[in-house]
Amino acid sequence: MRKLLLSLSAFFLLSGSLGAAGSAPSFTLGWSVYVGWDPYQYMAKSGLLKKWADKYGVAIKVQRFDYAPSLDAFVAKNIDACAMTNMEALDMPAAAGVDTTSIIVGDYSNGNDAVLVRHNLTLAQIPGKRVLLVEKTVSQYLFERGMALNNLTGELKRVKYVNTSDSDLAGAFLSDQSQDVAVTWKPLVSQILKGKGITKIFDSSKIPGEILDLMVVRTEVLNRPDGSGQRFAKAIAGAWYELTTQMAKPGPDGDKVLSAIAEVSEDTLASYKEQLATTHLFYTAPSALEMTKSDQLKKTMELVRQFCFTHGLLGDKTTSPDDVAIRFPDGAIQGKKERVRLRFDASYMELAAAGKL
Amino acid sequence: MSILQIHAQPSRTTVWILSWFLFAIGVVSYFWVSRGRHIENPDDRVMPTLRQMSQAFADATLKPAEDDEVAANADRESLVTKVRQSMLWKDTLATGRRFLISMALLFPAVLLGLHMGMFPYVGSFFLRFVLFFDKIVALSLLPILFIAFGIDELAKVMLIVVGVAPTIILDAFNLTRGVPKEQIVKGFTLGAGDFSITYRIVLKQIWPRVLNSIRLNLKAVMLFLFAGEMIASQDGLAYRIALLRRHMGMDTIIPYVLWVALLLFLIDFGMRTMNRKLHPWFQEA
Repeated sequence: MRKLLLSLSAFFLLSGSLGAAGSAPSFTLGWSVYVGWDPYQYMAKSGLLKKWADKYGVAIKVQRFDYAPSLDAFVAKNIDACAMTNMEALDMPAAAGVDTTSIIVGDYSNGNDAVLVRHNLTLAQIPGKRVLLVEKTVSQYLFERGMALNNLTGELKRVKYVNTSDSDLAGAFLSDQSQDVAVTWKPLVSQILKGKGITKIFDSSKIPGEILDLMVVRTEVLNRPDGSGQRFAKAIAGAWYELTTQMAKPGPDGDKVLSAIAEVSEDTLASYKEQLATTHLFYTAPSALEMTKSDQLKKTMELVRQFCFTHGLLGDKTTSPDDVAIRFPDGAIQGKKERVRLRFDASYMELAAAGKL
Repeated sequence: MSILQIHAQPSRTTVWILSWFLFAIGVVSYFWVSRGRHIENPDDRVMPTLRQMSQAFADATLKPAEDDEVAANADRESLVTKVRQSMLWKDTLATGRRFLISMALLFPAVLLGLHMGMFPYVGSFFLRFVLFFDKIVALSLLPILFIAFGIDELAKVMLIVVGVAPTIILDAFNLTRGVPKEQIVKGFTLGAGDFSITYRIVLKQIWPRVLNSIRLNLKAVMLFLFAGEMIASQDGLAYRIALLRRHMGMDTIIPYVLWVALLLFLIDFGMRTMNRKLHPWFQEA
């Protein structure tokens, strides 16, 4: 009994102290394996991040997750910053009431996500067939956008989605010849395309800039009165753009960095380069700024939030997509002003572009 | 009065209070933390309140499954029709069907174990292989299962069978071996043949224990079934949970998990009752 009480009180103390950890300027950044996020691991390993963290007087811990658990950890407020796509930023933390700010628009998928078929099927032939994908993720978004671009939206009702875990999707699709369609992302796409008779009929390069990969921070962390949250964001931005500059260097210099990045994520240089080829990485702060401040971002987010709403990703109680509002760098807001939950903040990229970090 | 006394005799009330104590602690601490989280963030989805959960559960049981066309006269339909069109009902049916099929497939495993225990030739043929197979973690062989059984219903059922059958076979085998040799000798002297001894003396005796062992493996069956549904499926209780997890639908997930627990408890209870009714002579050790 005593033990139980002790462990219970320990549990409550722990959960209490987690909430009150704000006094120590120590932060955790979560990432998962993906071409656009692998640099974060290298950034931590190489000491680059520490250099910037020291400059701004904060301590930053970098932790690798699987993608879905990293989102869970961010929503549960166990980590302060997390790498995620624009869609997940909206339907996970923002929709769960965790005010979220995107500080870096890192890249967009320019072919990383793809619709793969057997027997040279066309998009128009897919209705009535079964589609293997991780339901309610960017895969489904990509597929439905593809259908929409081909005026097949009305046919979507006849598509039979089979929710398939990403860790087993490649094996399932390759070994079961009766499956005709799969939608997934790299490196799974490359792996599946090696199978016989499988072709790619649609990919994210046809909807450039719609699947964005962001680095997001909880807004309450950024707004900490002691300013440590902002210093944390500045340190990340500083380290990020120093690293992307190194990555962009032509020839052996750049290759050296790229192979080191590939290595820390258990990948090879060739494979990493192949993935980079279908990723539009914003190597410089000005190029990222241009996307963040563009009208295109607003159009994209409008599509994404409508998709999330119609698929119930914003929660059952949400009666309108306006309930989870999005604020853009120019102050424009999609949705209700008093319910802003996702913010695109360009100021850290601006500081980087101006060389003021 | 000392608590740690083998001969202690707590009163009925004390037993009642003690046995519910941990439940109370669990429920109270959940809602306490949940309330705190909701004060801080009214949109919190990680720990839904009781009201949110009951609302979500009502939606799951009374509203038609999301992808179906809503009938024009939806409001006027009877409660039974509503429930039968609901998400929960459909998921439960899908999962229940897979569950029953795999349970049915586990019964041949009992017979195999029995024959292995009775007939030395059968035993030497299977035993080593089953012992080896029992130690294989079925989940790690998924890609091979996909090749063999596709990714449809068959694969899910086979995952369960591959995962649980060896345990049942070995259990039945050991129970068969545990039947005293004297009984078999006696059977022979009374003129029984090999098969009547196997089925009418040994099987009859080990049956209640085998049922017990299947009952204790219910959870393993359910775990494999859930794993299968989470890997690839279009319906089922675990499919729904996997999907809802994608957007933190904990308000539906928690009632779903409790519903599964209730179903498992009822099956377990049913099997225990059945065992007692069928084998009144059987006393659990």
